[in-house]
Amino acid sequence: MRTDGGAETESRTWFGLGSRSVDDELLESLPFWLPAALLVGLFVYGAIGWNFLISLTDWSGLGQPDYSNLSFEMYRTMIGDANFLAATRNTFVLLIVFTGLALVVGLVMAILVDQGIRFENTFRTIYLLPMSLSFVVTAIFWSWMYNTSSGGINVTLQALGLDFLAMNWLGDPRFRLAAIIFALMWQFSGYCLIVYLAGLRSIPNEHYEAAKVDGASTVRMYWRVILPQLRASTMSAAVVLMVFALKAFDFIFVVFGTNPGRSADILAVMMYRQAFDATNWAYGSAIAIVLFLMALGVIAPYIYMQYTRGEL
Amino acid sequence: MSGEEGSEKRSRGQRFRDGLTPKRVGLYAVLFGMIGFYLAPLESGLMTSIKSTEAFASTTPFAPPGPEGATIEPWLLAWESLQESLFNLRGSLANSLFFALPATLLSATLGSLAAYGLTKVSWRGQILVFALLIAGVFIPYQAVLVPLRQFWSFIDIASMLTGVPVLEPRADLIELSITHTAYGIPICTVLFRAYYQTLDNDMLEAARIDGASITRIYRRIVLPLSVPMFAVTLIYQFTQIWNDLLFALVIVQSSEFFVVTQELNALQGALVQEYNIQMAGAFIAALPTLVVYIVFGKQFAEGVAGGGT
Amino acid sequence: MAELILDRITKYFDDDGERIVAVDDASIDIADGEFLVLVGPSGCGKSTTLRMIAGLETISEGEIRLDDRVINDQKPQQRDIAMVFQSYALYPHMTVRENMRFGLEESTDLADEEMNSRVEESATMMGIDDLLGRYPRELSGGQQQRVALGRAIVRDPAVFLMDEPLSNLDAKLRSSMRTELQRIQDELGVTTVYVTHDQTEAMTMGDRIAILDDGRLQQVATPLECYHRPKNQFVASFIGEPSMNFFDMRLEGGRLLNEDFDYSLSSRIAETLDTEELVLGIRPEDIELVDGAEGDHDYAAEVLVVEPMGNENSVHLRIGETRFIATVGGMRQIREGETAAVRLPEEAIHLFDRASGEALHNRRLEAQLVEPPV
Repeated sequence: MRTDGGAETESRTWFGLGSRSVDDELLESLPFWLPAALLVGLFVYGAIGWNFLISLTDWSGLGQPDYSNLSFEMYRTMIGDANFLAATRNTFVLLIVFTGLALVVGLVMAILVDQGIRFENTFRTIYLLPMSLSFVVTAIFWSWMYNTSSGGINVTLQALGLDFLAMNWLGDPRFRLAAIIFALMWQFSGYCLIVYLAGLRSIPNEHYEAAKVDGASTVRMYWRVILPQLRASTMSAAVVLMVFALKAFDFIFVVFGTNPGRSADILAVMMYRQAFDATNWAYGSAIAIVLFLMALGVIAPYIYMQYTRGEL
Repeated sequence: MSGEEGSEKRSRGQRFRDGLTPKRVGLYAVLFGMIGFYLAPLESGLMTSIKSTEAFASTTPFAPPGPEGATIEPWLLAWESLQESLFNLRGSLANSLFFALPATLLSATLGSLAAYGLTKVSWRGQILVFALLIAGVFIPYQAVLVPLRQFWSFIDIASMLTGVPVLEPRADLIELSITHTAYGIPICTVLFRAYYQTLDNDMLEAARIDGASITRIYRRIVLPLSVPMFAVTLIYQFTQIWNDLLFALVIVQSSEFFVVTQELNALQGALVQEYNIQMAGAFIAALPTLVVYIVFGKQFAEGVAGGGT
Repeated sequence: MAELILDRITKYFDDDGERIVAVDDASIDIADGEFLVLVGPSGCGKSTTLRMIAGLETISEGEIRLDDRVINDQKPQQRDIAMVFQSYALYPHMTVRENMRFGLEESTDLADEEMNSRVEESATMMGIDDLLGRYPRELSGGQQQRVALGRAIVRDPAVFLMDEPLSNLDAKLRSSMRTELQRIQDELGVTTVYVTHDQTEAMTMGDRIAILDDGRLQQVATPLECYHRPKNQFVASFIGEPSMNFFDMRLEGGRLLNEDFDYSLSSRIAETLDTEELVLGIRPEDIELVDGAEGDHDYAAEVLVVEPMGNENSVHLRIGETRFIATVGGMRQIREGETAAVRLPEEAIHLFDRASGEALHNRRLEAQLVEPPV
């Protein structure tokens, strides 16, 4: 719109207009964001700091933590704890397999929905429906679906003559994690579909047409021309999914309680179990810090990337 | 995060729509197949919830009950344990409403205000404040659970409210509400900020020249223009807060004030083999969010695309 | 009633430690009731200047005074100004009436009826009184433009600021709005600063025009003075369409020389020049086509292209490698490829210092054509 572009766009603000100093602007905007910043500062960052402090104590059982004698004892214990190592491994498996699976399913679905289909809105609404449900609700549905003798999965497999594939999905430790990942994929692929669909819609039609004119087959067109342009969508969807995978607590808690066994234990569940079941508060806090650092490892590069791209 | 919207901006329609070729038939077959996949758990749950105990064990889970196996008994039993009666103020649905509604409204309002104060200000610090808010969207809640429990044992809402009817016994729910407000602010700020960045600068400057103060501009220009975004944020936040279990587990101690996700979890633990009652309970607990989703699906999708989980 | 004075104002932006000067030491005295047009190419600092007057941009150095009152540190709402934006900047959720009332509600404590009658009066003046109940989205571009102007008028400010207000309109509407805007400004007698990149708008609308380039004020004068007596080569080239022709020349022994032709200067002009590296300028309409190259300033030139406009022809010509444009009457028969005799009359030429661009000699004029500024 501006015909007179250049540097002046930089300073377009609506706080502190007509004043000489940045301070005025800060002062005028402060009342708007300060309450939110204080609440978040206290509940998120204050709490994380406090949590770290607790993780340095040896607090357990009743009573209050003793902050006078701090050490990294809990972290040392952690390294020697086979349960912790198993939970860490499972967390990574969940993180990678679940994210990858949900992205692939979401992408394929998005491409299919993007073919100019009828009743697109209805399709999308149904695909996204599981996202609107509580994990408590979906966990109950899937416990029933996975029921060995009369659950939907095994009944369907038997109907298809695939009896040999009908397993004790939740009982057999070998299948637990896979069963969880599949159910979570069911719940979250609709989200990927929405993100990818928005990404596809932002690609100009000319790119499809140019590829067609160049004689590319449909598969090659998507692979060579369209997919590379969905990098931003993939990135933001992946970050959201990974962070979710780190805190996938509610679902597992409802299906298995606080102890899903070593084969399906993840750090989020282990933390809760250690702190709130076993009252090993300090140990739980230490696990929470590990979980936090993992999340930080995912989001810090993402936020930094957004910052360098000027999207903040 | 990057503000994609789940709406139909441009369909590639016509170009692909070349009649009912075998390809198109295949496409629709896959799409309908996927509908089956996404709805199967709900369908089997619904069918099971209207079968008697003998019936659901002997029929396939997807099939409707026969005339003698059909019953609404599971729904009545589930209703009994989740809410008892519609106006039971201590039912778990009532408890959930009691904490979820204020938290939804408060987090959306604070998020909108914060986004307004952090958009298009030139001091450098705003990016840091905003980055810290964004990061708040992704925090694993486990990292704050122990301090949260400590915090609410020091800050004793119950004793502050001594003698106040209605509120005093619900101190846990008030604590839960404040907690959800705080953790909901980041996502609300992100959603509103993406929207405020698209507002026309000229228009806000015009308002400035017309003599409106910063606060008046918010009240008279920005707030009325935010109504669609409030719809998105409120819908999305309500769903998220209603659906949460973790904070409730840590904060709400007395089973009298269990929220609906807690009560449903308890019901599932107590009636392990009675899948029909479990399913009915799951539907009852999900009903408010299902209704909101079916009526406001578009806003929910926008919230999802704009903010993730 | 207001006199607006820009006194040596400067604006710089800080771009990561690097200082970018957007407006450099500009001084303009704008008389009460004057229509001043700020014109220049994109990025010249004209919008920044306007925004500094509005209070939307801080002033790095210098002073802006409105009737002897320094307004540098006043907030926009305290300055008694109204502004019209290129994008119109209407409030989309308010009706036309509410849009126009908004400024009155926020900046005055007028009674309700008083506000309404002022809104209606201004709406009548703009011919939008039948649109008061509509929302901006229900209006055409031209109608929105009128509402934007009405919103400024209703405030009855000391100064109007307009930032390219007509550039979103189509060509036909734009020229009729030009006339209407002038009529209204005339009627109200409000001091107006109008920013545009369009030299036609500048020429036709301004009492005076201020030409900016690269943050520097090049000339402030009446349109005709800028046209006929440009202060420098930039003004000469910016004002006028097609643009003035320029030839790089060397002064040697009273004659101007370049590779392709030489041009004899009368001693009256030559005596005033103190440099040899010059630019000779002549407007296309001042170049004459003659029957034969006989006179001292006549040359044989090849006709490269003829662009017929109907009322006139733009003729692209060449002498050796030197190319230039002449405009001649539309009835004149002239064909591409033929050789024409052209005359560059000495009374119409401009001479510029090639190094500084400064005008050393401007064309001769009938005395009454360029009047001193009001």
